[in-house]
Amino acid sequence: MKLDELYGRRVLFPQVDSFPLNDSRLQALPTLRVTSKNIICLRCGTVSNKSVVAMPRDQYYCPECITLGRVSTLDKFYHVQEPNQFVIPEQILTWTGQLSSLQATTSEIIRDRMERHCRQLLWAVTGAGKTEMIFAGIAAALSRGERVAIASPRVDVCLELYPRLQAAFANFPIALLHGREKQKYQYAQLTICTTHQLLRFYHAFDNLIVDEVDSFPYAANRALLYATENAIKPDGGLLFMTATPGKELIHQIQQKKLLVSYLPLRYHGHLLPQIKIHLAFNWRKHLLQRRLPARLIKELRLTLAHHHCLLFVPHVADLQPTFLALQRVFPKIKFTTVHAADPKRLEKVQSMRAGKYQFLITTSILERGVTFPEIDVFVLGADDQVFSSSALVQIAGRAGRSLKRPTGKVNFWVNSYNRRVREAQRQIAYMNTKGRRLTNG
Amino acid sequence: MQEYKFQGQYHLRKVFQEDLRRAVSNLEYDLLVPIPVTDHTMKTRGFNQVTGLLEGLHYTELLVHKNKQKEAQSKKDRHSRLQTKQPFTIKQSSDLYGKTVLLVDDIYTTGRTLYHAAALLHEVGCNRVQSLSLAR
Ligand SMILES: [Zn+2]
Repeated sequence: MKLDELYGRRVLFPQVDSFPLNDSRLQALPTLRVTSKNIICLRCGTVSNKSVVAMPRDQYYCPECITLGRVSTLDKFYHVQEPNQFVIPEQILTWTGQLSSLQATTSEIIRDRMERHCRQLLWAVTGAGKTEMIFAGIAAALSRGERVAIASPRVDVCLELYPRLQAAFANFPIALLHGREKQKYQYAQLTICTTHQLLRFYHAFDNLIVDEVDSFPYAANRALLYATENAIKPDGGLLFMTATPGKELIHQIQQKKLLVSYLPLRYHGHLLPQIKIHLAFNWRKHLLQRRLPARLIKELRLTLAHHHCLLFVPHVADLQPTFLALQRVFPKIKFTTVHAADPKRLEKVQSMRAGKYQFLITTSILERGVTFPEIDVFVLGADDQVFSSSALVQIAGRAGRSLKRPTGKVNFWVNSYNRRVREAQRQIAYMNTKGRRLTNG
Repeated sequence: MQEYKFQGQYHLRKVFQEDLRRAVSNLEYDLLVPIPVTDHTMKTRGFNQVTGLLEGLHYTELLVHKNKQKEAQSKKDRHSRLQTKQPFTIKQSSDLYGKTVLLVDDIYTTGRTLYHAAALLHEVGCNRVQSLSLAR
């Protein structure tokens, strides 16, 4: 182990053994706080009942964050205060792209707030180009010698960000950390990691950016929120990014705990396509008799004459019946089904992108991250509880992504018109109102 | 079992207790004796995975590790495990003459651990030594 692996990190080590490193900067920190009834984990913040997590000889552990190594009273954290020991290259930003004037304005606001270490939210519609908008802020932070991280709850988002960031900051080594790959930890000025990995950091980052904050498992996970706060230096800045902020973030904006910048228009300057709702009472029962709503078939036919599309269904079990029903209607059209555990998932997505399929029937896995240009979007059973309002906004946001076809159809079929569907429509309308105000001066 | 023993999720002991209790109740013995862990394991893992499973049953911690072994059994390879000399000693040997002992281990690895423990118990006069391990 090298000492720099402890910069801004906490490493678990048994109290009984002697730590392999010796340095005056090394600090031994407690792992748990023990009260009369509870124990509180200082890594993930989870409070556990003492009697549940007691081991022999009055020792305790945290059952919550155990996959990162068990935190117990038998261990200590070893930590070195973040020294910002970086060699800063001469050329910082190697990105040569252009921002639209709207993007540039937002980008400047973000950069300014990052410099003041604010807590802020970038609320940008799907397809706004938010990654490019934070480059200026990151570049300025790096030139100040700050340590910066971009975290996302989803591994696929991290994997997608990494090459883009590496190209934009080509002179910086970037540490990419996630649980799927056993890459050795490396001390770097710029880090891309899953939000789960933040649990290992302690007062490390001068600026931390959390992308797709609304997505699973981050949004409702107290341990990850706790880890986020711990990973930032006490005076550090925090930037959340999302197209679909949940209740908690909106509450923080209203309480003025979070500054917000909106980007209600997509990079091509067009509004979001609004969701159109169709009632399809008992659609699943009809589906089992291989019948789909007549309007759905009509809309699909119209789309498929010129474009491709995605058809979302709530559950894996809905895929096959939908496929069979549509096979009867469209015997000559190439399409298939895909879901999270599908072994050919990546292949099918690739084929769809290459135009080998005219449409995919999918569960909500393709709700974000994956972009197909010029498509229409259909959802059968949009009122099912698997679709949160933010998932529905993300799904609707798959349409109209390209400059060549900035509009697109978004049609939902529902058993009944519920709160989540209405909330999704409301969020789209809200951003479009803001967007219209911008375009009309 | 991996999660329980090596990740140290002590609360998972409850998952295995029922199975073990049923197995134990089918056997006759005078003394129920768990295989011990080293002092170092107690100070890092925090518990003996065997006694954790025996919770609620009447057992006697008769065996202890002789000297402070640095390495835990599970970290050695099969060959070096087979080479090991008697690792245990008896805490108190009174009243053991003619007794039937049921030895309990969590995972049956080479059988060497159980062999050494049984040999020692025979030496001090136990009549019969049976053994039970939860998983192989
Ligand atoms: Zn914890």
